[in-house]
Amino acid sequence: MSAPQAGTDGCSHEGMRNGAEPHSLMEHRALRRASLPLIACALLALPPLRPLLDATMTLQMLVQIPLLTTLGWRLAGAVPRGAGDAMGRWNADGISGLVLASMAALPWMLPRALDAAVDDSWVAAAKFVSVPLLIGLPLGISWPRMGFVVRGVFFMEFVATCFRLGWIYLASPGRLCSNYLLGDQQQLGRLLLLIGASVTLLLSARLLFGSFDLAGAAVDRSRHPDGEQPARSR
Amino acid sequence: MATMTLYPDDERLSATERAVFDLYAVSAVVLFVLMMLIGLLMRTAQGNWMSIPPDLFYQLLSMHGTGMVGTMGMITTAVMWFFLRKYVKLHLWAFVANFVLFLFGALCIIGAIFVGNYGALWTFLYPLPVALAKTWSNGAAAWFLLGYLLIGVGMLLFYLDAALGLIGRFGNLGRALGLQWLLSGDIDPDHPKTVVASTMVIIANVLGILAGAVVLVLSLVSAANPEITFNALVMKNLTYWFGHMYINATIYMAVIALYELLPRYTGRPYPITRPFLWSWAASCVFVIVVFPHHLLMDYAQPRWVSIIGQVVSHGAGFPVFLVTTWGVLTNIHRSGMRWTMPSRLMVLAMFGWAAGIVPAMLDGTIAINRVMHNTQWVPGHFHFYLLLGVLPMTLALLYHVIGSREQTTLDSSADRVGFPLYLLGGLIFTFAFLDAGRMSVARRMATHLPEWRGTDQVGTIGALLLVLAMLYFAMRIAIGLLRVKPDAGPRHAAR
Ligand code: HEM
Repeated sequence: MSAPQAGTDGCSHEGMRNGAEPHSLMEHRALRRASLPLIACALLALPPLRPLLDATMTLQMLVQIPLLTTLGWRLAGAVPRGAGDAMGRWNADGISGLVLASMAALPWMLPRALDAAVDDSWVAAAKFVSVPLLIGLPLGISWPRMGFVVRGVFFMEFVATCFRLGWIYLASPGRLCSNYLLGDQQQLGRLLLLIGASVTLLLSARLLFGSFDLAGAAVDRSRHPDGEQPARSR
Repeated sequence: MATMTLYPDDERLSATERAVFDLYAVSAVVLFVLMMLIGLLMRTAQGNWMSIPPDLFYQLLSMHGTGMVGTMGMITTAVMWFFLRKYVKLHLWAFVANFVLFLFGALCIIGAIFVGNYGALWTFLYPLPVALAKTWSNGAAAWFLLGYLLIGVGMLLFYLDAALGLIGRFGNLGRALGLQWLLSGDIDPDHPKTVVASTMVIIANVLGILAGAVVLVLSLVSAANPEITFNALVMKNLTYWFGHMYINATIYMAVIALYELLPRYTGRPYPITRPFLWSWAASCVFVIVVFPHHLLMDYAQPRWVSIIGQVVSHGAGFPVFLVTTWGVLTNIHRSGMRWTMPSRLMVLAMFGWAAGIVPAMLDGTIAINRVMHNTQWVPGHFHFYLLLGVLPMTLALLYHVIGSREQTTLDSSADRVGFPLYLLGGLIFTFAFLDAGRMSVARRMATHLPEWRGTDQVGTIGALLLVLAMLYFAMRIAIGLLRVKPDAGPRHAAR
């Protein structure tokens, strides 16, 4: 299945090449890698980008939060090799990371939380910290560890969530957020249904007609019990 | 091409695999007997030979429907696993996870029904489980829905693992389905039919599970907050997309046993052909869009959807059924087939599937559905192909497997009594439903009018014969699987 690889490969492969590098150099590299996503997160949290992306429910949910998640994902490239290996022990097949990201994503699907993030600066701070660090980062660390089955569950749940949320937003007769209009909420609902349908179609087409490079772990996990060589797709 | 050896080497089970397979098989036959006993109780009550309070009746009907459909899904998954693992790498953990999640799901459902008094049937049609005046709480409904979710997740894991195996060997699901040979090219004679059928089931049922994952969670949202309401017709569409696909997939998983075992008993090869590939490809598309035939009497539904429901109803099961019947009959014809239990059950299964499809297609025709909708014609047709089609397909495999474990004849005198008893009971039972449907007796009614009792009582007698026969099959299979006779010289000892 297609997978954003950015930053993730950098984490393990570069780490291996850097095995002999001095500690300070590695730290420097990690800092450099982390700085760009962190600066981008800060920019998103400040005017003019923040009020712009908070202006509609659709922008907040479909642009701001995904951007923060992507930036968190890129942070995975800055995780030092030692830390990555240590985490690997509790993150077999990337499952713990996926569960953590799912749990952290739950509140940001609730209109009440989106609303509060506009009104209350503490909630806003929680969003700008938790989305990159508790959703994006764990996903970025875990994705290369996930085999075909875990990725399949992830995509299935992603699509189902788009349909569920989309429908709930469309079905609710009243405004769910005090900051956003009903039309905005319904537009978001329709877009979520569209995203769900498009991802389903793309995945189905890929599974039916695509080509896959299921190296190592995904094909025979018994030989690679800790999922060191995850499923990759071209 | 499927092997001609009765017990080929690549079907051997390791000790762990054998334990897991036995767990599936024994649980299934025990559950079938229990659910049949519940069915017998309900039919007896409809015939006024005993009295069951209506709320209990609907609990029993919920348990029977859910239990039968779930058990059928579970055991036919085992059929698919048993054969598919020969061709692609399947991981035992996925097969085990499916069983464990099935068990947890079943516990949630049993608790919801018998502790929480849930009675909104296996179709959990929104908003019945969560709204309206009812005798159970939203909590009970939530447990029931959660049970379904767990079972769905288990199946999803198994299918994803199987998809991984198929993609690993064939490149993608399209090639596993044989799409590359639809129009031209030399079909690989060794391309397994099992692979084609399994791929079709994975594609269709994963989409069904996706619909289920949406509709179940939205029903749960509604149980938690009844003020949020959803369009009941869209929910119904999704529910049937999920439920119809799930129960249909059981046929397509079970028929794998027929493809694999029949040539071994007839001693004649059963080659893969272009019509075979076409039929599975067509059915794969049709089975995904056929569900609107459950909504023919929902007049708010757009007209074109109902028309799709009718047209596709005729096209969905038909291609695979036609090609399979033709293939099976030509395979059997003058083959000098060995008539033991597996072969008998396979022929019965073909008959049950073929005959059961006729009332099903009639009911999928709008003009007929106007009269037959929600009459006992409906349980008449699906009991026909489930009891006399799908169940015998799975029993054929289980009998075949016990033949591998002990040097026993699969044609004992008790078998020779059990088989006709099952057939006779099945015919009486299903024709009683169909005849009641002809008289417009409503289905899903706890209390029946005195005028309806004739068919109810005939049906009860048929059900009794069925239960007796199934009880015998269950004991024979459970004992055959679990008893390890060291001196029996098993043909297929555990690796
Ligand atoms: C001895 C065998 C069986 C008996 C006596 C029996 C009896 C019944 C009865 C009395 C009903 C209710 C009919 C009505 O709507 O008025 C019913 C419904 C049903 N049965 Fe069976 N049954 C048997 C076997 C099976 C099998 C093998 C399956 C599937 C594998 C099955 C699946 C169902 C389903 C799905 C329903 C529909 C439940 C609903 O309407 O919600 N049954 N059965």
